[in-house]
Amino acid sequence: MEALILEISTRGLHRYQQIDGEVTTIGRALDNDIILSDPTVAPHHLKIIRHGDSSIELVNLTEINPTRVNNQRLQSMVAERLPLKLEMGRVQAQLIPRDYAVANTRPLAGNSHGKNLFGHAYWTALLVLACLFVGGTEFFLNSYNTVKWSDLFKYVLRETVLTIGVFVLALSVLERLLVNRWEIRQLITTVCLVYLLFNFVSMSGHGLNYLFSASWPTTWLHFGWYLTFIPCAIALYLIHISHLKQNRAILLAILIASPIAVPSILQSQHLRTLLDDFSPAAKYQNSLSAFNWHLKDSVSIESFVEQAQELTPGEFAD
Amino acid sequence: MLLRLIAASLLFAGIFSPPALAMDSKEIYQLNEKRVFQVRVLNRETGKKSSIGSGFIVGDGSQVATNYHVISQVVTEPELFYISFTSKDGQEGELKLLGLDVAHDLALLGADEPIGEAITMSPLPPRGAPIFAMGNPLDLGLTIAVGTNGGILNQTDDSRILFSGNLNPGMSGGPTFNDKGKAIGINVATARNAISFIVPSRFLNDLIEQSNAAPINDETDLKIEVARQVLAYESSYIEQLLAADWPSLDLRQVKLPGIISPTVRCWDNSAKLSAIARYKRYQIRCANKNHVYLDGDNKFVGNLVYEYFWLESEDLNALQFYNLYENLNKDQIESKLDRDVVSNFNCRTWFIEVSSQELKSNLCRREYVEYEGMSDVLFTAALTGHSNQGFFITLIMTGVDYESTLPLIQRFLEQIEWKP
Repeated sequence: MEALILEISTRGLHRYQQIDGEVTTIGRALDNDIILSDPTVAPHHLKIIRHGDSSIELVNLTEINPTRVNNQRLQSMVAERLPLKLEMGRVQAQLIPRDYAVANTRPLAGNSHGKNLFGHAYWTALLVLACLFVGGTEFFLNSYNTVKWSDLFKYVLRETVLTIGVFVLALSVLERLLVNRWEIRQLITTVCLVYLLFNFVSMSGHGLNYLFSASWPTTWLHFGWYLTFIPCAIALYLIHISHLKQNRAILLAILIASPIAVPSILQSQHLRTLLDDFSPAAKYQNSLSAFNWHLKDSVSIESFVEQAQELTPGEFAD
Repeated sequence: MLLRLIAASLLFAGIFSPPALAMDSKEIYQLNEKRVFQVRVLNRETGKKSSIGSGFIVGDGSQVATNYHVISQVVTEPELFYISFTSKDGQEGELKLLGLDVAHDLALLGADEPIGEAITMSPLPPRGAPIFAMGNPLDLGLTIAVGTNGGILNQTDDSRILFSGNLNPGMSGGPTFNDKGKAIGINVATARNAISFIVPSRFLNDLIEQSNAAPINDETDLKIEVARQVLAYESSYIEQLLAADWPSLDLRQVKLPGIISPTVRCWDNSAKLSAIARYKRYQIRCANKNHVYLDGDNKFVGNLVYEYFWLESEDLNALQFYNLYENLNKDQIESKLDRDVVSNFNCRTWFIEVSSQELKSNLCRREYVEYEGMSDVLFTAALTGHSNQGFFITLIMTGVDYESTLPLIQRFLEQIEWKP
């Protein structure tokens, strides 16, 4: 008789017990062959009997939290085929043959060397430099007085280095706590990518506002960024870098993204605009662009006055 | 020689002594103390004063003149408030509203029967002549303030006289006398120490005449009447603006409408720039002064404000320049009214061709909740297409008929001239 494997899952971690005897007992009592220390497991919970014809007999031994097999309550059964999914109390297990196929090996991000952004330290260094450049450019574009190098340095330190540093630190601690990994370089690469993309999206939103003569592009990019992009980026990181299963990665991504997204959304002017039905200020389209790309046609003064006659007052608030 | 001295003394006395009929403040006070009252707005539920002002007997002896702003609570909440008067010697009685002139901040009230001898009106004495304002400041008792006539102010649409005496809260609605003891106006406002304003009596005469012909009665919707008066005043004001020739002013490369009315004053409003600024900005702000009191919480309408803003730089690149330009392009109407008072703004954007240039323009409009047809309008227009030159105009009008503002905006745009 070929040995079987009992895969026991506890809090996302798996341990494996080989079953090679004719009769194997499972329970919380110390006289069992396999001991499960969970308090919802009975002292003697399940007996597994292997017959000579390769069939397996499962016998439930408890009335409290009886064993479930493939989601069915069990008293006693003979199984011909594996795998079998078992639930003993809140312990989940799987009875599998020894030759059960395992998932493909996932390469470590670092093993692919220069092939992807996470493969080598020079990519990380390059992205960090790109972030510093973007931070410096941002300072430069918003400096209307003679630029001082010390101010540039302070700005980049405050707005770029500290921002990236705080996120890397917080996310690395979370990664350590949640998935027991510590992949600082990959994290720096990811945070830098997000930082660069954020700046690109902000600039694009601004240009789109001018293009459409409307403020919906920045509003929707703002919500899309925090409610979709950030959780997706974290989930992809957890799946591809931390090698978590998809469902778990999505849940963790939502958990990690919430403290970033919720305050940003709550404090945003966009949300206030959507929720508050009154504003004493005139919300007009004040965006201006050096490129002057706009979809609206220019009109004559007379046409403007004619069209302006149709402008109704705003809604009265409740 | 003695005869010459006597003759010279008589001549001197004849020139420099006051006219025989001139009265001093004591005589004016004594003559009018029974004809000037404290006007009070009382809460029907508590019976207590909600606001106080002054008033005086006019017309047939049963009418009392005061300011609209003294009794405006009766217009906004007639079910909760009523008006009464009390005299220096304790005479009291209820007054009803007979007429309003909101634009000039006047109200005419009426008692059921004559309550004293009416004060007679007189035209304004010469500039510099002594005038005397009576009223009940801060509920402290009837007093008289002495000052001089500073003349009619054309920046307030001729509806205010400058008075060099001190008016204090509670004196609003009281009479201002010449040295013959005749009322030349009604106390209305103060700006600071010894800068006070009086409404000329001719507006009160008009109100008495109109009210005698068609007095306000219980069926009059007071808010509709207030809105009608304000809108009529503002539309007439805009018509006057449109009928006038507008002088131009130059701001760098644009020629713009200048001081379009005597009611408007323009100021250089350019901000002081840092010594290391790599740009130049120039700002001119023009505004009128004839604000119209609407109702509680110092809510005024009738503002006309237009601002010009020029920005240029040889050192900033186009991206830097437009970041700065956009940050500055965010003018708003200063009065922050809440949802009970006004609707939201509705704004729309146009790109308008003006003098061979393209202006990104926004027109915003909101309406007053309780005053039908009354709107606040905000118009902005910013020059586009120049990498290192920016210019924008903001035009604000409050408490106006929206449609009547469009010809004014059109005239503004038509008068903008780009100088290459």
